[in-house]
Amino acid sequence: MSATDRLRRTVLCALVAGALLLSVLTPARSGEAVTLRFSNWHLVEDVWGRSLREAINIFESRNPGIRIIPEPISYGEKEPRYQAECAARRMPDVVKLHNFSLAMFFELGCAADLTPFVQREPAGFLKAWYEFPLKMLTHRERLMAMPDDFQSIVLIYNRELFRAAGLDPAKPPRTWAEFQEYARRLTRDTDGDGRLDQWGFSMPASKNPGLPLRIMPFVWSFGADFITEDGRRSAMNTPEFREAFRFIVELATVHRVVPPGVTTFGPQDVRIQMAQRRIAMKIGSGWSYPIVNALNPQLNAAEVLEAAPIPKGRKTITAAWLDAWIMSPHTRYPEEAWKFIKFLSSKEIEKKFFEDNRVISSRKDVNTLPLVRTDKFSRVIVAELEHARLEPFIKEWPEIFDAFATALQEAITGAKSTERALLDAHAKVEEILARRR
Amino acid sequence: MRLSSRFPVATVAVYAFLAIVGIYILFPFLWMLLTSLKSETEALEIPVVWLPDRPTLKAYVIMWVRKNYGVYFLNSTVVSLSTAVLSSFLGALAGYGFSRFALRGRGFLMGFVLTTQMLPGVLVVGPYFKTLSAVGLYDTRTGLVIAFLTICLPFATWMLKGFIDGVPRELDDAARVDGCGWFGIFTRIVLPLVMPGIVATILFAFLLAWGDLLWVSTLTHSEAMVTVTLAIARTVQEFYVNWPELMAGALIGGIPSIVLYLLMQRWLVQGLTAGAIKQ
Amino acid sequence: MTVAAPWLRPGAWGSRLRDRTVGYLFVAPAVLLLAVVLAYPAFTSLRLSFSEQGSPVNLGLVQYRLLLRSSLFWQVVRQTGVFVAASVAAHVILGMLLAMILNRPLAGRTPLRIMVLLPWVVPDVVAGIVWKWILNPLYGVLNDVLLRADLIPAPLEWIASPRLALFSVILANIWRGFPFVMVILLAGLQAIPQELYEAAAIDGAGPLASFRSITLPGLRKVLVVALALDTIWEVRRFGLVQAMTGGGPGTMTEVLSTQVFRQYFQFFRFEYASAMAIAMTVLLLVISVPYVRMIVREE
Repeated sequence: MSATDRLRRTVLCALVAGALLLSVLTPARSGEAVTLRFSNWHLVEDVWGRSLREAINIFESRNPGIRIIPEPISYGEKEPRYQAECAARRMPDVVKLHNFSLAMFFELGCAADLTPFVQREPAGFLKAWYEFPLKMLTHRERLMAMPDDFQSIVLIYNRELFRAAGLDPAKPPRTWAEFQEYARRLTRDTDGDGRLDQWGFSMPASKNPGLPLRIMPFVWSFGADFITEDGRRSAMNTPEFREAFRFIVELATVHRVVPPGVTTFGPQDVRIQMAQRRIAMKIGSGWSYPIVNALNPQLNAAEVLEAAPIPKGRKTITAAWLDAWIMSPHTRYPEEAWKFIKFLSSKEIEKKFFEDNRVISSRKDVNTLPLVRTDKFSRVIVAELEHARLEPFIKEWPEIFDAFATALQEAITGAKSTERALLDAHAKVEEILARRR
Repeated sequence: MRLSSRFPVATVAVYAFLAIVGIYILFPFLWMLLTSLKSETEALEIPVVWLPDRPTLKAYVIMWVRKNYGVYFLNSTVVSLSTAVLSSFLGALAGYGFSRFALRGRGFLMGFVLTTQMLPGVLVVGPYFKTLSAVGLYDTRTGLVIAFLTICLPFATWMLKGFIDGVPRELDDAARVDGCGWFGIFTRIVLPLVMPGIVATILFAFLLAWGDLLWVSTLTHSEAMVTVTLAIARTVQEFYVNWPELMAGALIGGIPSIVLYLLMQRWLVQGLTAGAIKQ
Repeated sequence: MTVAAPWLRPGAWGSRLRDRTVGYLFVAPAVLLLAVVLAYPAFTSLRLSFSEQGSPVNLGLVQYRLLLRSSLFWQVVRQTGVFVAASVAAHVILGMLLAMILNRPLAGRTPLRIMVLLPWVVPDVVAGIVWKWILNPLYGVLNDVLLRADLIPAPLEWIASPRLALFSVILANIWRGFPFVMVILLAGLQAIPQELYEAAAIDGAGPLASFRSITLPGLRKVLVVALALDTIWEVRRFGLVQAMTGGGPGTMTEVLSTQVFRQYFQFFRFEYASAMAIAMTVLLLVISVPYVRMIVREE
């Protein structure tokens, strides 16, 4: 055997031995006094992650006997992971979830009942929060989570592009008819090469968790809804719903005011488009413009972007985003976990989160601070909270919306006619709800 | 090469084919490389920017320095290498057993092994998580290795049995005459002759363990156990995808596999010539 | 090359019983490990698949009935079939061609050998993300090239179009998966002695004839194994499809694995998802039976 071969063999054997050894030795975990595992998808983000870690440091310095272990997780991973962990009684002690899956986790028994803790607080403790989020987080008369971010969905537009198209930036579209007209005028070829390079509007029509938020304002303001009030039947065959559906689909197919490939866009793609001045309007909330700003500092998002209420249809209404802190039902340290949750949703820290991340919380006392009221985006978002509604809080909601998103994609891409796609979705939702009964 | 001396056209055809396939294979990598050298804004330009104006290694620096890549690399390497070695060894043992022995219920056992390969990961992950927790192997590298072994063993066994079947039994007999026991035949005769198969198995198992996402994300929770693939996947967040960093991470993540391949390819291409037919 | 003396055959040494025990010993570690670790999950899933949603006590065929009556299920089965058949066929053809080429002394062989292995080192999900980006209608490089070369009048919607979506996914999947088959076939080719080819050449056989009479028979076992394994793995392929299209547009690129994932982790229909996964396993079993027979019966 040649020298190189021998060398190769040695290297490989060393590697293998090392690997086998290391795979069995695992870093020892020291026995701390009290450790709380804290999981939140924002921990992987640059700005928000830093903000959270600072908050953690503040908490630890005030509570020397408690150590917080941050467990970053990506947005898409969180539901499968938390579910598996809950089933094995190993869920992180404090976890953040949002509206989309909260109902499911409550029903699975994967959220601790916070009512006893709240009852021990001074009287009027809960008055600092809006009633609406608190009501949503109450399951069978028990409070199962503490509300955190609470934002309304608004229209975001680029004032410079408005002006370039001959539209007055101080007059955003008020009705859907105006919106369509504006979008048409904002879809143009800006560099004269014969190809469209700017579109009036864009939306993330791929199947992503952000889509419901952007569709619901359309649907609700047309006076329609996905399911009936009692949650027992599909309401997708009403004339109002058909009108709303056709309106959205025709933005892409008839008026062509959205960029090609809209059914593959995620929220991030739309933000990129806005950052690059490819689109003039989008639907979003407080989190939008810091991200857009980071994507393209030259855009000067803070100056150039504006927020306006969602255009009116038959109703003045918009969608809301709500996320909340959940305590694991199997936590070994419920008292300390409550302390941490209370800290994270305190006035001081919610104010900090606003300063760092520009998100509105569910605390009335923070939203009425001058800091928030003078911010040009937050001002609109807080005002719109008045007519904000949350998506239906039933276990089958993800599946119901998936049927709608399928229909939307089929209609926009021409796989089925608009009528057919909607009819099929309606039938599917009826079938889903029939299971419930 | 006989082909070239008799059919020069054939050689040209071969190289042309290689060129086309080469473009198909390499183009995404080229794109990944170019993107990793751009600034974030540049990566998102329309019309598409091919060559970065000012190439920068910033993405690579961030991935290594700020994001703790060293630990991820260690975890990935340890777990993948262990999986690879163990699955090829155990698979070879089993393959040998299936090949050389008239076991009662052999077809059933072989079928069983193959069937376990067919269970979708999604189903198995949840209950497996519970099992691991119960025995205290949750969030450990050992737990991961065991999990990956269950995915790699079936194909390792089947593959190696296929290769071992190709080793003539006469060689076994010859070794018997020389006084070898079954295990001796295994290590001295069979294993060296199926080296290409072993190497192939090691490579597969390594790559499978390295590139896994579902198991790693469910069976670990601490920072200390994160693997390279998990770290890369986490750069794709809900609100934010940093393309240069993602590409840089993916490219660096591919290097150990290539290194392993380079180290082992000698045995992959070794023929049946060494010492076999010599009586 | 036959052995004349029967006492030289293994098995003649010691009783047959002892031989068989040794055989079991060889096979035991792998089989036991698989059985022990996977028994509980497999059992749990099986039980779930026979339960009604929310009431684990009542066992019955509810989920399977729902499954078989669902038109979406059959659509997904069909799409999976197309996806797998096209991918595996391309893997084998491409893999075989490359393996044969790389089996010869060729200029620049080592770098070539590295090159053809490269797609494999990219994890599923990353491959999906990269290809999705390359095929993006606005930012995508492919459209850019085609537009500049005037081959298409307007950007093509590779991923969004109902007609092109499945094709795009298959294209990416071929890229990602052929090295697996190629490496197996290359290893198998290595095991065919060169002397056989030399002898055939002396006899005047052309390349096609020697391929048919030497290469194919020599590779048969290995080829069958490669086909079986690749088929099983492609039916299980998840990350690539999920990352590229998410099953869209609509449900036109849904495959069984993405559907199971969706039902289990997004809709929380554990029982239904389990039934679908069991159905998937049964399907794979049915497909593999001919392969298994072919291999086991040989002996």
